[in-house]
Amino acid sequence: MAPWLVLLVTAVLVLLTPPGAAAQASTVDGVTIDPDAELVVALADDTNNMDPRIGMGSIRSNYIRQVFESLVDVDHAGKPVPGLALAWKPVNDLTWEFTLRRGVTFHDGEPFNADTVLFNLDRFFRRNLDKHGVKDVAAGTSFEKVYPFVTRWEKVDDHTVRIHTSEPAANLWDFIGREPLVPRAWTVKNGVEALNERPVGTGPWKLVEWKRKNHMLFERNERYWGAPPRMKRLRFVIIPEAAARIAALRAGQVGLIEAVPPLDAGVLEREPTLRVVSSVQKLACRIYLNGRTKEAYESGGRDGAFADPKVRLALNLAVNREAIVQKIFHGLAIVNASPVATVAYGYAAQEAYPFDPARARALLAEATGKDGPPSLDLLFPTKHYGQAFDETVPAVVEMLKDVGVPVNVKALDFGTLLQTLTKGTLPPNGGFAACRTSNNLDADDFVRDWATTTLVNWTPYPPELMTLYQGTRRQVDPKKRLALLADLQRRVRDWAPVVSLYQEVKAYAHSTRVLRFTPTQELNMDFRGVALKK
Amino acid sequence: MARFLARRLIHAVFVVWGVVTVVFFILRLTGDPAAFLVDQTATREEIAHARHLLGLDRPLYAQYLDFITSVPRGDFGLSIQQRRPALPIVLEHLWPATAELALAAIVLATVLAIPLGVVAATHRNGALDHLSRLGSLFLQSMPSFWLGLMLILVFAVALGGLLPAFGSGSLRHLILPALTLAAAPLAQNVRLIRSGLLEVLQQDYVRTARAKGLAERGVVYRHALRNAAGPFLTVTGLSLGFMLSGTLVIETVFSWPGLGRLMVQAVPGRDFPVIQAAVVVFAVLFVAVNLIVDVVHGLVDPRARVA
Repeated sequence: MAPWLVLLVTAVLVLLTPPGAAAQASTVDGVTIDPDAELVVALADDTNNMDPRIGMGSIRSNYIRQVFESLVDVDHAGKPVPGLALAWKPVNDLTWEFTLRRGVTFHDGEPFNADTVLFNLDRFFRRNLDKHGVKDVAAGTSFEKVYPFVTRWEKVDDHTVRIHTSEPAANLWDFIGREPLVPRAWTVKNGVEALNERPVGTGPWKLVEWKRKNHMLFERNERYWGAPPRMKRLRFVIIPEAAARIAALRAGQVGLIEAVPPLDAGVLEREPTLRVVSSVQKLACRIYLNGRTKEAYESGGRDGAFADPKVRLALNLAVNREAIVQKIFHGLAIVNASPVATVAYGYAAQEAYPFDPARARALLAEATGKDGPPSLDLLFPTKHYGQAFDETVPAVVEMLKDVGVPVNVKALDFGTLLQTLTKGTLPPNGGFAACRTSNNLDADDFVRDWATTTLVNWTPYPPELMTLYQGTRRQVDPKKRLALLADLQRRVRDWAPVVSLYQEVKAYAHSTRVLRFTPTQELNMDFRGVALKK
Repeated sequence: MARFLARRLIHAVFVVWGVVTVVFFILRLTGDPAAFLVDQTATREEIAHARHLLGLDRPLYAQYLDFITSVPRGDFGLSIQQRRPALPIVLEHLWPATAELALAAIVLATVLAIPLGVVAATHRNGALDHLSRLGSLFLQSMPSFWLGLMLILVFAVALGGLLPAFGSGSLRHLILPALTLAAAPLAQNVRLIRSGLLEVLQQDYVRTARAKGLAERGVVYRHALRNAAGPFLTVTGLSLGFMLSGTLVIETVFSWPGLGRLMVQAVPGRDFPVIQAAVVVFAVLFVAVNLIVDVVHGLVDPRARVA
């Protein structure tokens, strides 16, 4: 065959090849892979919902994001990258523009376009639901209440959407951009209830079977706009007990497990057929203290006992975080004095609170005088955040007692804690241990904790910090905003609204047959690019 | 017999109503499910909105009246977590998963207990009796979650995957959870049969049977065992309650997709409709089995009908 003909045939073949098929290499890192294989992943819990509007908690997110995608995607380093939107930018102080990816379809063939985005915005903000003929749902986030400054949205063309606000909204790209998007026509036709049964999204995996509390089976989306997955099926099985998950991995019944307890991670690492990988998460665990004024809770006429920043700072100086990370977490946690997770956009590293009991005692004496430090009634939700958390809190209690703070611990279940916080009946000298995470990328999701009265806000911003916080929300220029965020984090660190404990590092273990699994810093696992040895 | 049955049925209705009512009010003392639906950064207004959507902002008596009139129709409302009708969720977890597991465990605990109890009784104070006593002590003392994990380590890991470590769907999957669930009732049954038999074997009619030249096997199984079966039957009925509560732990350890695991997740999440439906199903099952046991007991021993 003539060379020009070979070139022509090759070019035609390349043009006819579906997108992503080139990525279907039969080898990865020089190892032959099995493109028809099924990866079984053992998870601690099942999702309750697949409709992203209902909620995107740490468990649910992992299921929902395999099927649904958002305008803004995130890479393994936690950086925002184009997802269903190719680009986003503020066109002026009060308008953001999203340029949508072309040629994307949902699993049922429905095209993704500007109408999809408008429909989803209507659902987020509970507008035009009657017009669409879809029901409202009890949602985790009430956009219309949290982001009331978002006023309207419009379709510029089939692949451009503009969102207008009544005040500058620097992080709109994040709180809108990270929400998973559902199909419009399919949802209108099948109803929002169907989103919870067998939904269709644009993601790399199609949901083909869901036996609740047992397993969820996905199949590769051959028409995925990016590189299609390198294995045919992905099966999530639910194994609540960590010991049983580890046994199933060792027995070869599953290929990958999540949430390996710190103590087991070291043991599994030594096994030649297994590999342990980990990633820093956004989960920040803290002790929250009652610093509210008496009008802001069911106080019985008394202000919170921890309103003085000096007292809270003293408690922070009493905690030996390095010991906690080494002795309890065996290195699978980090110390972070910033109110923002280290992997969030806008994080600025802050000087760690030193472990200095002598200074803590001196600060307490200076702040409380002859009255002595207030006692702390600490609510401690057990069996909710993991064994290491359950070991950490009692250790911290002893550290606080060492600097002279009397602590009464009340162990309870998470629901009872939520009830106390909902009713606002935390005692004046009360506090609680809890962790918070984020489904967003921007630092705002962390620093907004002290802006409005919420379940976790027991030390509201003083006026000067509130002004600074509002400045970070309204500054659209990225450089200036990052500087404001850094300043806010420094001031919050010194103002010490909470006793910061640790930020979690999550460990996974998988068989050596699993290739290129890299844990993300988000709440979900990403199986794009993961392959199985033949 | 008809009056006996009618009396028992009326008792059963009151028991189920009492359980349902107590559960309804106790659950509402334990917390607010609306707080689980919203983010932790939710404001009071957002929580109030979620409460309104769930109908939890109505007076308690109105909620109870709605509930108690809906229960006979099988309407327990929508699951707060799953947003689907609660009763079908409970029933799909009960059947086949939990029913399969509980039945397998009851069969194991009954079928194995009879020969083991007989051997222990007929070899009183011998080596087999001591072995049976030690075995029973071990099985009754071991926490089921520990026993389950040990069985997984031995049969799924150490023996190279001889039995699966988790899941359901085949007889192989059923063996380890059923053995774990059956362990404590089996031990109890062995001791019951042993003590019942020892008492009966001292009776005159047993001596007479032996004197007539009946083989010892016939004496024990045809004459003595039938008379020693009363307490064993009663306890087997009651052990269903143990089995159902035992599934809470066993189903979690073995990732068995049954009612126990559903409850374990529904209770901390304050999923009121699911908890209420599950408790009613548990109560109905428990009452029904005990009713059947009473009837069987009444048939076997007419004195029981009077009692």
